[in-house]
Amino acid sequence: MHMADALLAPAVAATMYVASGAAAGVSIHQLRKDDEQQKLPTMAVTAALVFAGQMINYTIPGTGSSGHMCGGMMLSALLGPYGGFLSMIVILAIQCLFFADGGLMALGANVWNMAFYGCFVGYYLIWRPIMRSHWFGEGKGAQRARVIAASIIGCVVTLQLGAFSVVLETSLSGITDLPFGAFVAIMQPIHLAIGLIEGLITAAVLCFVLESRPELLRDAQPAGDPSKHSLRNTIIVLAAVALVVGGGLSLMASSNPDGLEWALFGNEESGYAQNMGLDEEDFGVSSSAADKAESIQEKTSFLPDYSFANSDSSAGTTVSGIVGAALVAVVALLISFLGGFFRKKKK
Amino acid sequence: MDDASLLWFNSKAMNKMEKALHELNEMDDLAAMDSPIHHLSPLAKLLTTIAYIIITVSFHKYDLSGLMIMVLWPILLFSMTGIPVRTCFYKLRIVLPLVMAVGLFNPFFDKAPMLMLGNVPVSGGVISMVTLMLKGVFCLMASFLLIATTSIDALCAALRKLHVPGTLVTLLLLTYRYVGVMTEELAIMTDAYHLRAPGQKGIHISAWGSFLGQLLLRSMDRAQDLYNSMLLRGYHDHFHYVEMKPFRMKDALYTLGWIAVFLLVRYVDVAQWMGSHVMR
Amino acid sequence: MMIEKKMIQLDKVSFSYEPGRPILQDLSLHIHKGESVGLIGANGAGKSTILKLMLGLLTAQSGTVRVDGLDMNKENIATIRRKLGFVLQNSDNQLFMPTVEEDMMFAPLNYGMDREEAEKKVDRVLEQLNLTDLKYRHNHRISGGEKRMAAIATILMMEPEAILMDEPSAALDPCNRRIVIDTIRGMDQTRLITSHDLDMILETCERVILLDKGQIVADGRTEEILKDRELLEAHRMELPFCFAGPRYR
Repeated sequence: MHMADALLAPAVAATMYVASGAAAGVSIHQLRKDDEQQKLPTMAVTAALVFAGQMINYTIPGTGSSGHMCGGMMLSALLGPYGGFLSMIVILAIQCLFFADGGLMALGANVWNMAFYGCFVGYYLIWRPIMRSHWFGEGKGAQRARVIAASIIGCVVTLQLGAFSVVLETSLSGITDLPFGAFVAIMQPIHLAIGLIEGLITAAVLCFVLESRPELLRDAQPAGDPSKHSLRNTIIVLAAVALVVGGGLSLMASSNPDGLEWALFGNEESGYAQNMGLDEEDFGVSSSAADKAESIQEKTSFLPDYSFANSDSSAGTTVSGIVGAALVAVVALLISFLGGFFRKKKK
Repeated sequence: MDDASLLWFNSKAMNKMEKALHELNEMDDLAAMDSPIHHLSPLAKLLTTIAYIIITVSFHKYDLSGLMIMVLWPILLFSMTGIPVRTCFYKLRIVLPLVMAVGLFNPFFDKAPMLMLGNVPVSGGVISMVTLMLKGVFCLMASFLLIATTSIDALCAALRKLHVPGTLVTLLLLTYRYVGVMTEELAIMTDAYHLRAPGQKGIHISAWGSFLGQLLLRSMDRAQDLYNSMLLRGYHDHFHYVEMKPFRMKDALYTLGWIAVFLLVRYVDVAQWMGSHVMR
Repeated sequence: MMIEKKMIQLDKVSFSYEPGRPILQDLSLHIHKGESVGLIGANGAGKSTILKLMLGLLTAQSGTVRVDGLDMNKENIATIRRKLGFVLQNSDNQLFMPTVEEDMMFAPLNYGMDREEAEKKVDRVLEQLNLTDLKYRHNHRISGGEKRMAAIATILMMEPEAILMDEPSAALDPCNRRIVIDTIRGMDQTRLITSHDLDMILETCERVILLDKGQIVADGRTEEILKDRELLEAHRMELPFCFAGPRYR
């Protein structure tokens, strides 16, 4: 669910940069404080591994399609929230710079949507409480069960949060005319399916690590006095489970690994509109969520106001606009010609 | 081999990781080319690119004619550097569908006609859709050109100059260094897997954990080796990098000049203005 | 003050990764200054462990490790590491900086040399190794042979008194292997080389130590040990190709 530059208004992008930057600042500070600078090589190698690991196709049994992992949860289970967050930032930066996945301006938002939730929310609210709890009893098997539960709940919850942020950021940017409610209704269920798959993959990998080198996993050793947190942790985890189950009703199978593309683009056979169950006549406009979204948009009028259907350009200026466009094309051709000339001269 | 068959060959002969490696190497080769733009300070290029992207994105969603003129900057850079546009457009396959998908809803919700092309009314939604797609393409071209003319180490030097924390920059460089190594290992493992599992499209569920897990364990040993080799060469808490090329007068002129041009274009509809003058 | 003749001393060193499964037991070995020593033995014989103990990357459970007369302890470890250069088996792990030049400057800059001087030194070392065209190349874009030579160059930049090498000829084509051998032969520092490439050991080392299961089973002149078929075969080795001749025709 990498956002592109074009999907964000500069003000939203800047806000997300500030938020992600603050989280990164805290992470760096904490790493220095805990004297974990020496973990830099481990972080780099693990980040590189996750980067490559994202390209693996995992066959989803019974569907013939394949799933992928994104890695935020896995990184924080291996490196802790701070190390995991920073590693995730560099993964996203490399993807954006070298593979045009995401964008330079959207990087702040992408870091927030994919790294912040996965690492901080995923670690502090899900991974650590579950791993330190007495769920499933004692012993190796129970620990394995806790790893699986934490991975799946963690991935599902953090992906839901990420998907919701994508909707929020796009809507606040005024990029799409798609009503907020409809957008949410499309994004959340699809990312539920993706989250489940990612959770299963993460669980499989982490269980393998637990079997072979448990010391690599955070909180895999039982903590000293877990009873202190026990009630609070249980509540947090129950809330997370409720979120999962609540969304679970609208579970759908994804045939495409990246749900955002699927959600918005649909698949080739059926048009995107049908795919979403989207009937242009009565969809969205009448929903109360859409009304709410509109009011949200009105309240956030400090952002570029895109909601007016009529701009100042009128039909009278159209022709000169088209002539202007033609001139731009001519200039572009000229530049291409001159550029080649310039290059040859330089050599 | 001509381009088309080469493409076919690549898509058949390489797995996903090998393709990614190929793409990384391609960017490296481009950054190693020689052109006036390549010689600019990375800081100048970074700042100009960011300004370009922000200004491009900030165009009003109906301001198609204003936005159009922004295409000239990337075109100028492509032609000055000789970087093939094709390589850039290949990367569009990731961004464009996404942007297009979001934009495609606009014509359905925003149906008020805004202008007439001959006898055909064009709705606001269509215009905003086209604007959005162009923004997507322009932004991609800008950041592609940045990386295609600047090596990662130069870029990191520029980030240091912008006071991005050293920990993050070092991590970026180290990760970039090992992305190639790990991707290659996974490429080999993927081939090895499929040679023993003909007909399977992906990794079977029975190997979900161990496939990446095995490599993960090996990587931890590798990280230890790496840290050792840093220690043995006197590493203590910070990295020394080659410093950035000095930010000279021409770099300042380049940056300020272009930002001024972008702003001018943003607030004066040059295409419209040119058009109306020609019409007169 | 007496001039220290021994570069590296291990005395009655024992080491194990997990209790009850010792890797090395009461092992003693001395390496003299200027010597060129080959450390051979089957997989798992403890070769890498010995190298890591000498470098202070592992700490012996008992016994003493001394480098150039200095005891291996917290105070001395920085000085000791300054004296030793270690060429890793996997060059990728050694070359972590973006370019060969920056990698070569890593150690000198850490040891407080100024940048200009370090750059001059890079040129000198590259010249000496015939690698001048590698200078600005990216570490992730050079071949395996080039990586190995670049790794050696990064170590030579430190001007170590002794060089430890882990499998320097592994996975190299004959031509690159020859280049590495010639480079090792041209060094005047104390050298300790672990390898399964006995022909290379024969060409580069005057003394050989044969290890088996954490014990030294032979220590002597290279020609004598590497010609001893019975000794070698008793410890999961075989005669170097040049002595054995072609086995199958």
